[in-house]
Amino acid sequence: MSQVEKFVCIGCPIGCPLQLTHEGQEIVEIEGASCNRGAKYARQEFTDPRRGMSTTVWIDGARWKRLPVKVSAPIPKDRVLEAAGEIHKLRVEAPVKRGDVLLRDFLGEPGVEVIACRTMARE
Amino acid sequence: MLGRIEGRYDVVVVGGGPAGLGAALGARDSGAERILVVDREPETGGILLQCIHSGFGLHHFKEELTGPEYAERFLERVVDHDIDVISGSYVSSVGIDSDGDKHVRILREGRGISTVESKSVVLAMGCRERTRGAVRIPGTRPSGVLTAGLAQKLVNMMGMLPGKRIAILGSGDIGLIMARRLTLEGCEVVGVFELMPYSNGLTRNVVQCLEDFGIPLHLSTTVAQIHGRDRLEKITVAPVGPGFVPDLSRAWEVECDTLLLSIGLVPENELSQSLGVELDVITRGPRVSSSMETSLPGIFACGNVLHVHDLVDFVTEEALKAGRFAGEYAQGIRRPKDNITLVPGNNVRYCVPHTLAPGREHTIYMRAKEPMKPCLIKVGDLMQRKLGFVVPAEMIMFKIKPDVLDRFHGDTLRIDILPYEKEGGR
Amino acid sequence: MPDNYDVAIIGGGVIGCSIARELSRFRLKTVLLEKNAEVGFGTSKTNSGIIHSGHDTPLSTLKGRLVVRGNALFDGLHEELGFGFRRIGELNVAQTEEELEGLKALKALGDEKGVPGIELWDQERLRREEPNLSRALLGALYCPSAGVINPYEFAFALIENAVANGVELRVDSPVLGLEPNAEGLAVRTPGGTLQARFVLNCAGVAADEVAAMVGCADFKILPRKGEEYMLDKRLKGLVRRLVFPLPTKTTKGILIIPTFDGTIMVGPTAQTIEDRGDFATTAQGADEVFGYIKRLCPAIDARDAITAFAGLRAVSDTNDFVIGPTKVKGFVNVAGTQSPGLTSSPAIAEHVLEILSLQGLELSRKARFNSRVAPPPRFAQLGHAEQDELANKDPLFAKVVCRCELVTEAEIHDAVDHGARTLDGIKFRSRAGMGRCQGGFCSSRCMEILSKRLAKPIYDITKRGGGSYIAVPIDLEAARGEPPLHPDARPRINAEEK
Repeated sequence: MSQVEKFVCIGCPIGCPLQLTHEGQEIVEIEGASCNRGAKYARQEFTDPRRGMSTTVWIDGARWKRLPVKVSAPIPKDRVLEAAGEIHKLRVEAPVKRGDVLLRDFLGEPGVEVIACRTMARE
Repeated sequence: MLGRIEGRYDVVVVGGGPAGLGAALGARDSGAERILVVDREPETGGILLQCIHSGFGLHHFKEELTGPEYAERFLERVVDHDIDVISGSYVSSVGIDSDGDKHVRILREGRGISTVESKSVVLAMGCRERTRGAVRIPGTRPSGVLTAGLAQKLVNMMGMLPGKRIAILGSGDIGLIMARRLTLEGCEVVGVFELMPYSNGLTRNVVQCLEDFGIPLHLSTTVAQIHGRDRLEKITVAPVGPGFVPDLSRAWEVECDTLLLSIGLVPENELSQSLGVELDVITRGPRVSSSMETSLPGIFACGNVLHVHDLVDFVTEEALKAGRFAGEYAQGIRRPKDNITLVPGNNVRYCVPHTLAPGREHTIYMRAKEPMKPCLIKVGDLMQRKLGFVVPAEMIMFKIKPDVLDRFHGDTLRIDILPYEKEGGR
Repeated sequence: MPDNYDVAIIGGGVIGCSIARELSRFRLKTVLLEKNAEVGFGTSKTNSGIIHSGHDTPLSTLKGRLVVRGNALFDGLHEELGFGFRRIGELNVAQTEEELEGLKALKALGDEKGVPGIELWDQERLRREEPNLSRALLGALYCPSAGVINPYEFAFALIENAVANGVELRVDSPVLGLEPNAEGLAVRTPGGTLQARFVLNCAGVAADEVAAMVGCADFKILPRKGEEYMLDKRLKGLVRRLVFPLPTKTTKGILIIPTFDGTIMVGPTAQTIEDRGDFATTAQGADEVFGYIKRLCPAIDARDAITAFAGLRAVSDTNDFVIGPTKVKGFVNVAGTQSPGLTSSPAIAEHVLEILSLQGLELSRKARFNSRVAPPPRFAQLGHAEQDELANKDPLFAKVVCRCELVTEAEIHDAVDHGARTLDGIKFRSRAGMGRCQGGFCSSRCMEILSKRLAKPIYDITKRGGGSYIAVPIDLEAARGEPPLHPDARPRINAEEK
């Protein structure tokens, strides 16, 4: 019994409507792409959709109240909100340097770090 | 950072965002010696500092960076190149004396007012957001109606939320990015309303900022009324009919305490106007030659003050170029005046620069008036390029090789975007 | 034991503030009760800001008798209080032959009332003086004594001067009840009850409701809404004088108003409304204003609007000012002060003092009365040398906060020093946030300054008081200063220091 999943390609502003036909976990066909990026995107979205993520955390002793941070590698799409919740529990203190690692193996994903996106001096 | 700034400079750059920093590096690259960047904000980096999402730098740094990372890395290069940067400083006027020297008057936080002399000046003041007044939404004037950029600053830097239940008018990229940002911070984003039948943001942002979180995007829909005495209580939204007039018979009400406006950006050219720089009525930025020089000799412009960009990498490229020519000018190098005027033709909203000169390679930035796919960009009879698509939200950039213009003998060159049928259909 | 006052003024619009300042010349204990966060935040703030010459209001009415006197008093007030005011003159323009005749009748009335300098202009003169007005206009009546004012600055300066001379100001103090008693009236507010020999009802649009609290229901306020549209700076100078059509019985019509700051404003509409909270601008209102104004000045287009607002005129059902004592001893109405209420306000204050004196209030002048308020610094309007001098004295004059209007941080502090408690309070005192970006860049900085100066959390800063908050905390624990620490957090997390 084959099923169809629909995606909108994000490769460029055309936004090709993609149709991915699958039987269970097996991909049967990908239609609708006007270039080869479409199929690749649909396959990734079907098998393991991931997203990069950035947000801010509380910082003490700096000019601003929030420090921008990001995850160093994409995380599973369905865990983005959970990730934000975890990161927001952080509170850091100035000074902070760009690239400082705040959390390692984030969400149990090996090698994924939460890192500071900018330097903030102590004021 | 710096104490006294009195004295003579080769190049003074007004604005410390990506355009200003890029121009300063370009000026250094050209061999100019004394370069000063004047930034009005307390920290240099411009609006990038509040754009904490990633997607910057793919062209320039060959990796995907967040706004603050891009700004900091760029600033490091500028400082490494021994360029003077002052923040918290505001250029109130630029005077030009009879020798063509520029006198830049600077109000500097904590240090008073001083005037520096410079051989050339680069305008890189950026842009501002259109406000409620620009679209005349009827209704009351409660708090809770603000631009998406101000909301971004409140959330990302000051640690506050603009409200808890958010509606967004306009699907520009800042609005889409803020929809996701506020969702991650625990707000409920009830919908994005877009006047046009298509989104004004990148598809990637529509998918990753709205669809991922189940936020509805209502196309051909606008906010017809604002309700609430002290604080926003609800909005009336309505589909638009011909001429973008709201069809109130199909209107509905949306409860929300916040309405973000993401309805476009306008170059900030008050300083340019006070100088007497000639502006383009479409871009609302200066008219510039192929060396990014405005109608006033030795005054250059780049970045969002010139025309609103959607990618910072393009700003950087344009700014490096403007800086190089400003640096050359400061060293006494004068290029012959451009002798070809570019004319926007079919489905072309504008193109920058406004004039060209033969014998050099040119980068043309332009925008389409409406979506078209597939299509053909035609530069007079000189060259044409096929494109899979054009949309107003995405700036078009292409290069004209030096030898192409050698074949041209007229004074105006028209650029058209024309529909194009692929041979043999799909 | 309640606080005792000689006079309690209900309402801090230009009327209440004018009376407060006049009373402050005398040995009296006076309090002004304002329901909003700051004075002038009601009808005064949304007023057209016109000081009328008064040529067109008949002498048979009280307003007709007070308006010319009020106009004449503005030079002295401007000199003492420094608010924005300039006599730019007004034109009543004629669009038909019939209206040309009407202008002559209007001139006769103005001459009779002693309005100075009135002239009839023929079409040629009108075209020469105001070349951007419609070529179809046939002529005009010119009154040089009309002027424009920043009405909110007038209210701010009046109350500041009154307070400096001993008047007490209570903001966020709506009157909840009034109780006549042997010594006058007891006035109930959320902050407590106070006692006053005289209560002046200057409550504007709510004046009939206040009067009803003591059983004086002999007049009604029929609020009449007016929508105004502010145009982009690029149209500055398009029209140099106030331009009125020929007035009708109910309204002065839709006008072109070159405001004190030079920006052109068009409006107002005139719509009688039921809901006293209706401050909504409407699509119909915009169509009406811009549709009509094209007849006067074709160069003005709806696309030039940068902002719009609506205000309510406190129109009484007598169609005149309702000023005088009532059947309740000590309770005096100063109501129905719609146009020309702002122009008449100084004369109204004089008139009210006469009434109070007749009612038995002893007016004995203070030995010392300081009649002056230092005008706020206006950095943007100064020459370079003066700007340099200011910046040398106070480095905050070299720190630009509002780039659209070139307002410095020193001026923001000055606004707070002179009573600003809200973002609108800062905006209407310093102009920060009034320009093209409408506060997009400067309001976050203004919030920080207010928060620091008022020692209030930034979340408690409002646009204009009440429930008009700007922002809420991103997370409550953090706002309370006790966020949980993340157990896994590693470098530079303050857990390490414990």
